[in-house]
Amino acid sequence: MIRNPIKRDVLIAVVLFALMLAVPLLTGTRYVLTQLTVFFIWAVVASQWNLVLGVAGIFSLAQMALFAVGAYATAMLAYYIGLMLPAAMLLAALVTVGVSLVIGFACLRLKGPYVALLTLAIGQVMYLLVVNDTACFTMPASGCLPLFGGARGFSRFGDLGFRDLLGSKWYIGHYYTGLVLLLAAQLFCIAIIHGPLGLAFRGLRDNPGLALARGVSRMRYQLWVFGLSAFFTGLAGAFHAAQFGVVGPTAFAFAMLLFILAMIVVGGLGTTWGPLIGAALLMWADEGLREVSDWREIGIGFVLAACVILFPKGLAGIRLRSGRGPDPRQDAPPAPPPHTRPSATPGAGPAATG
Amino acid sequence: MDVATQILISGLTLGAIYAVSTIGLALIYGALNMLNMAQGGLLALGGYIAMWGMQAMGWPAPVAALAAMAAGTLAGGMIFVAAARPMLGGEGFETRIFIATIGIGLMLESVILKLFGPQPQAQSLKLEGGFMLGRVSLPLQNILIFVTALLMLVLVAGLLNRSRLGRAIRATSMNRDAAQLMGVPIRRIYLTILMLSGALAALSGIMISSMSGLLPNMGADPMLKAFIICVVAGLGNVPGAALTAFAIGMLEAVIQYIFGVQYAFAILLCLVIAVLIWRPQGVFGQKEVVRL
Repeated sequence: MIRNPIKRDVLIAVVLFALMLAVPLLTGTRYVLTQLTVFFIWAVVASQWNLVLGVAGIFSLAQMALFAVGAYATAMLAYYIGLMLPAAMLLAALVTVGVSLVIGFACLRLKGPYVALLTLAIGQVMYLLVVNDTACFTMPASGCLPLFGGARGFSRFGDLGFRDLLGSKWYIGHYYTGLVLLLAAQLFCIAIIHGPLGLAFRGLRDNPGLALARGVSRMRYQLWVFGLSAFFTGLAGAFHAAQFGVVGPTAFAFAMLLFILAMIVVGGLGTTWGPLIGAALLMWADEGLREVSDWREIGIGFVLAACVILFPKGLAGIRLRSGRGPDPRQDAPPAPPPHTRPSATPGAGPAATG
Repeated sequence: MDVATQILISGLTLGAIYAVSTIGLALIYGALNMLNMAQGGLLALGGYIAMWGMQAMGWPAPVAALAAMAAGTLAGGMIFVAAARPMLGGEGFETRIFIATIGIGLMLESVILKLFGPQPQAQSLKLEGGFMLGRVSLPLQNILIFVTALLMLVLVAGLLNRSRLGRAIRATSMNRDAAQLMGVPIRRIYLTILMLSGALAALSGIMISSMSGLLPNMGADPMLKAFIICVVAGLGNVPGAALTAFAIGMLEAVIQYIFGVQYAFAILLCLVIAVLIWRPQGVFGQKEVVRL
């Protein structure tokens, strides 16, 4: 048993990565590999959203909007300017960071539920602006195309080049691209959770008075996490665009947002591995429910509600409580005397500063 | 002049519809710190029950409306019993109840979709006809909506300000612990609030569907609007929410006339974002001071 949590998590990540590396050698089935590639994409989004929602405590629902920004920016850069797709993806991720900082500046001054509603509203505005725009920007052979693609969206903006390189086995190239992306995103999560930023948020949660007095600025650190996690979210969106070759307004759909949110909640909000467990479980369940597709929505709704009510810490939380002893780092400091404990509004969530 | 009358009519109707569903949300947030994301499902439930009661069961309109409100009351009560009560006072209640009610709303909408199908349907509970006001037509349905909404607002205001139950509700929203120490049964108050808000949502759902038709996901946009109204007014502020509902309804009617229907919601949201940057605690909200 490795005591150091950073070493432990990095080791798990590397072992999992090595196992996943071998999958294409064992099975050549295109269906399995494509499903796994999609899993990599959603796992990246879930893990980054978990950083915002669970670690930094920002009640943001803008993550899917940022994902869509990454996808749209990639498609537009490649379609209008004719950029190579890998370059367009990287640029799109930077664009996403820029957009996230604008949203962050507007939202992070607000309290929890206000942030949730405002970020939801921002996503909705983006969706409405894209769908309702009917003025033609260019006239390709397929007909009128609005600036943001309209209700139809973009297609035929090039690919990652694996079709030339690997021929009919191009999807294996996408599989490895997705895997590397997920590894990078997960290592980034581990670094944030165990690094100075994670420490700052743990301080703000355990004793906000002391943390604030020591100069830990909640908003500044929240903005950091918001912006940094937007990079990988945008990159995931860009890769999604490259994988499927189309970008449309369905990226903004509320059902998609719920699906990813369910992954995080089922797996365990604020845990290192919860979002990945949740993503794997929900994608597996989703495939299983495909046979009875009208029950899918009811199933997701039920799982979402039941998990928050019955397992507040998610599946990862259950495993932690029963399997492993108490984390030595968490119960090391003695509890503060009763009169210095924060007296937040009863029953409210994490105490907020006014 | 005609244009102004037209805008006034549609603005007041929109405002009335929004006000009825918004005060329910404001009551819930004020007392429980809970955002009820199942509201959209409750709106659809009310609309569909009223239609089903009139078409399949042949009930007269008032009975169908009462049945819809009863169903809303029941659903609201079940949300409290099944979701809110087990996690009340637990860690991260606000986040968890938000996500749980999203799940419940999704289940409600999916069940309606399975029972009634995805095709849009017309609301049977609707007054036909109207009369002319100068050269502007004034549909009876709009008058019915406005009068019903006003009646509901007066009833709720009376309940909150004059009755024993209302005093208990207000006490609970002001200070939960103090109210409990004074012997207010806060769990029963919470249950009552959720049931009341469910009934209001069902009524609002009938109104909305009589204007724009029935769809299983018809509640999504009105719910977002109701929350926006709550946020602009300051979460949990009931009288402010009612006032803001009418203001937003009027504003939406004006925007619809000037810029066209398809941009109304987007422009409205941009205005709201601007308002929140200017006053993060809402127009009627008070700056919150949290002691550490």
